[in-house]
Amino acid sequence: MTLTVDWTRCAGHGLCHALAPDLVDRDEWGFPVLHDAARVDTATARRLAGACPALALRVALPAR
Amino acid sequence: MTALLNRPTAQAPIDLAAWTIGAPRLLAGLDQAMTIGLDLHLATHGPVPGTDLERILGFLDHAVIAGRGGAGFPLAAKIRALRGGRRRVVVNGTESEPASHKDRLLLHRTPHLVLDGALAVANAVGARTVAVAVHDLATAVVVSTALAQRADAGRVTVRVVRGGFVAGEARAVVRALDGGPALPTGHRTPPTANGVLLANPETFAQLAVLLRVGPQRFASTGVPGEPGTTLLTVGGAVGRPGVVEAPLGTPLRIVLTAARAEAPQAVVLGGYHGSWVQPMPQIPLSRSGVAVAGASFGAGVVLVVGQQTCALGELARVAGWLADQSARQCGPCRFGLPALAADVVTLAAGRPAAGRPAADAAFDHARAVTGRGACAHPDGAARFVTSGLHVLLAEAEAHRRGGCGRPVLGHLPLGAAR
Repeated sequence: MTLTVDWTRCAGHGLCHALAPDLVDRDEWGFPVLHDAARVDTATARRLAGACPALALRVALPAR
Repeated sequence: MTALLNRPTAQAPIDLAAWTIGAPRLLAGLDQAMTIGLDLHLATHGPVPGTDLERILGFLDHAVIAGRGGAGFPLAAKIRALRGGRRRVVVNGTESEPASHKDRLLLHRTPHLVLDGALAVANAVGARTVAVAVHDLATAVVVSTALAQRADAGRVTVRVVRGGFVAGEARAVVRALDGGPALPTGHRTPPTANGVLLANPETFAQLAVLLRVGPQRFASTGVPGEPGTTLLTVGGAVGRPGVVEAPLGTPLRIVLTAARAEAPQAVVLGGYHGSWVQPMPQIPLSRSGVAVAGASFGAGVVLVVGQQTCALGELARVAGWLADQSARQCGPCRFGLPALAADVVTLAAGRPAAGRPAADAAFDHARAVTGRGACAHPDGAARFVTSGLHVLLAEAEAHRRGGCGRPVLGHLPLGAAR
């Protein structure tokens, strides 16, 4: 499971960081920094994607 | 051996000047005309023998043509990746890189060679339409004139796609052709997934040569794995700027000598998504040769930063331009590139940035934008700036001690109003 950011949508609201501060950091402008997107488990990935007010997070299965 | 390929008229715009190292292929016939019409084109190159898919792919398997727009993706792999019902061919002639003139030169001076390649691919993959996307009206007029001379070009249209640096990105061009804004898309689906075969004008022109001469003769020059010639745009502190056709793998020294370059302080390879390098004379100008030198070949740009200019100021100027070219869609690029450019200005002023060396701040900002955008603009800008900082370490020290004492002469050209 991977979590990707659509950077054209992300507006730096920061909900992903608030929900999972150990997985998602914020840069100096407030945009998310995913340190290890592959480490995010399915349930968390779905929760973060669902919470994003800009619909900027995508949950994708790893390429086979 | 070098040969001048344009009649030396005072009126010829500088960016349409061309010359060659070795025998010309793409640029053959340019010594006879400013623009090669259909008759001269056929007299110079002859007809295209056959354009069925098997022949094209068979030739490309024996003589690889890497895409000449910058990314270097092999044309054969692109053709094989085509999916989706409605096939289209797009010639991406937008050439948004301000230091590169080779695509405009091809479209202005030998448009039929580009059209031959594009129509060959269109025939092979069953494309109903071919679009030639350009940034400016002058180029559109020349291509339209060439189309009017041909009987086989009914399905070809010329489209002006306006915009800055990122408007030339493949997905941005396709989006603009489909009626949208000329901006990169948020998801990284390649155009081939939707049946679109998009390539650079030089890529199509190289194919047009390959189809005529066959893979063996095509590979009679160049280097193993990268057969044939390449177009280079040579500029900066040189006595003879212009577009050069040279065998792939030609050493940098030969190109610089032929261009009558000043003794360089540094060389920029690949353009403004490319890299600064020490002027090592033996660097082979091929994708692999430039990669070994730690740089990227890009679209074949070679810029000389001369001894008389303030190199750090040149870097700062282009860094500011790159920040301006952000489409401002993606936060890290929109905020990060101006921050990165400000770091370079601070470094050139000899000051620290927020209490630490400005170079450290620049490296951090470069890292912060890399891989965090819808297109490769932040990555390319970061690579350009960090490579410049590495090459100019001694310069930065001179600036910290009070400055290098040289003016910024603008050896690195920025986009003219287009």
